[in-house]
Amino acid sequence: MLAVITNMLSMCIPFSVALLLASLGEMFNQRAGVFNLGCEGVMAMGAFVGMLIPFLAGHGGAVSEWYNLLGFAAAAVLGAVFGLIFGVITVTFRAPQGIAGIGLQMFGVGTAGTLFRHFVGGTQSIPGIPDVDIPLLAKIPVIGDIFFSHNVVAYLAYIFVPVAWYILFKTYWGLKVRAVGTNPRAADSMGINVSRTRYEALVVGGALAGLAGAYLSIAQAKMFSDTLISGRGFIAVALVYFGHWHPLQIMGGALLFTLAQTFQTIVQSMGISFPYELAVMLPYVLVIVVLSFTSRNQTTSPTALGKPFNREIRT
Amino acid sequence: MKKLTALALVLILPFMLFAQGGSESAADDGTIRIALIIENTIDDKGWCQSMHDGITQAIAEMPDKKIEYSYSEKMLPVDAGSIARQYVAEGYDLIIAHGAQYKNLVLEMAEEYPDVSFAFGTSSEIGPANVFTYMPESEETGYINGLIAGTDTKVNIVGLVGPVDSGDAARYNRGYVLGVQSVNPEAKILVAHTGSFSDYVKSSEVATSQLGNGADILTGSSQQAIGALRATAESPVAMWVGQDLAQLTTEEGKAKCIAASAYNYAAVVKELVNKVENGVLGGECIPMNFANGGFIFDYNPDLKAEWVSPELEALINETIESFKADPEGTLADWADVDYSTL
Repeated sequence: MLAVITNMLSMCIPFSVALLLASLGEMFNQRAGVFNLGCEGVMAMGAFVGMLIPFLAGHGGAVSEWYNLLGFAAAAVLGAVFGLIFGVITVTFRAPQGIAGIGLQMFGVGTAGTLFRHFVGGTQSIPGIPDVDIPLLAKIPVIGDIFFSHNVVAYLAYIFVPVAWYILFKTYWGLKVRAVGTNPRAADSMGINVSRTRYEALVVGGALAGLAGAYLSIAQAKMFSDTLISGRGFIAVALVYFGHWHPLQIMGGALLFTLAQTFQTIVQSMGISFPYELAVMLPYVLVIVVLSFTSRNQTTSPTALGKPFNREIRT
Repeated sequence: MKKLTALALVLILPFMLFAQGGSESAADDGTIRIALIIENTIDDKGWCQSMHDGITQAIAEMPDKKIEYSYSEKMLPVDAGSIARQYVAEGYDLIIAHGAQYKNLVLEMAEEYPDVSFAFGTSSEIGPANVFTYMPESEETGYINGLIAGTDTKVNIVGLVGPVDSGDAARYNRGYVLGVQSVNPEAKILVAHTGSFSDYVKSSEVATSQLGNGADILTGSSQQAIGALRATAESPVAMWVGQDLAQLTTEEGKAKCIAASAYNYAAVVKELVNKVENGVLGGECIPMNFANGGFIFDYNPDLKAEWVSPELEALINETIESFKADPEGTLADWADVDYSTL
């Protein structure tokens, strides 16, 4: 039984990374007052570009780790560009954020699929990046498997959580982001360039969403297909609400969701008499239930979330 | 307003004439026009590709017939209606909507266009006079793969990554269980479903979970199984038995897939074409099994010597022959398999 539990917990960290990165990116967006429902599309583009570079370099075979790194870098840059485009649409042209986000999602998923067919063809896999055992620590019974035997990007993603917290709560830029997402008019009167700050947050958010997609294609599934993201971008958006726009709580949400996913898999595999349809629903039901109970606590939500800012119009 | 109406009519009229003309010419010169509607892509190494490959193979195997073929990919059931109507307007004789999710659409259109033949599957229902159904009796292919898994497992734990528990996937999965149990009653069979036909990431997660729990031979059905195969390739010891021959051609399949079976839709398509040509537009269910050539089974040449003993190969050959001799009876109890008792 201990082996089963260890196996379940050991999957939580690597399988939660894509959600974690995308959610942290979306957190920066929303903290600045912009919600990006196009996260799914940005992830799809990130996954495609991230996989494309090592695939073309090795034609599906083994490649130098530098190509994987280049794949991640390209995915981040492309995600940032998508964030910039979203900024032009929602910050400069003040288009409704929800509609623009859905448009970006469709554009990203569709473009990734189309380019994939053109450059790669059918479903293809790549060697991806391997797991790395941290010397000595990985050998600790139970703990070693759970915490110290994963791929490098997973470690970096979790190290980024306190970094994101520091950026958001301890730096001047983080203060600006929170200010424009909470009271953009007051921020504007204090000399903060609201549009520029929102653009910057969207670029950071887009880059993280791109990285999240690349993680799925390079580090986790090690392949790409049109349906690779399968709604994880929307789950990332939900996890931001779930985690009350706070990096540590978002990390908790990503881990809890993944734990529920792996738990339901174990429940099925162990032959426990329980309808699999309900088991598959479990993580999603969990998110809805927790959101229902925690949504009353609105004190931490960015009050200007979803509201375009026009300094010429007093609301 | 009148000018606008007249302009609209002028623009629309040529299209209407063109559509009608296309239909008549197709009927006159004896060309059979086949359209395929699928929810994924023609190169998904799974469900959709197998039908596309089957149609192109059938066309190649019937050089005496004039057949035109078109396909539409990534068609959700809600979107498929418009493209299906477009195919009808263009004079297509046979429209194959490849998936049980298109059932309502097909039945609705069949009533609307009684002169056009439709087909959908998997389903064993006998439909209206202009609707064919097809049902792969894939408990047979699952059983063969189960024989391999049950024989080759070294730890007596095997895994199965299913999409949803319905249709041919349910039949394949239960056949796999019966196959494993027939040669290795002691084996523990880990069964889990992803709830999706196309979520490759989730299927890789399920496979990773099963590998972590000790499974050393895995299988999976539908296109999502590619994700599970990819996860299996990460294991230094685990192997795979496949549900599509296309899996043997992937890099990880070459290294891990001991053998694979596949649907031979060419047999179904040829039968459909012959029936439509002879004026039979539907009202029948076409089963797919080893007996009627609906299934193909093959080994990985690089792995066969190591993983398929002469005794196992003889057992597989004998089993396939028994399926051919009695397609109705050999695995009649496949539906009785209860995963909770495994």
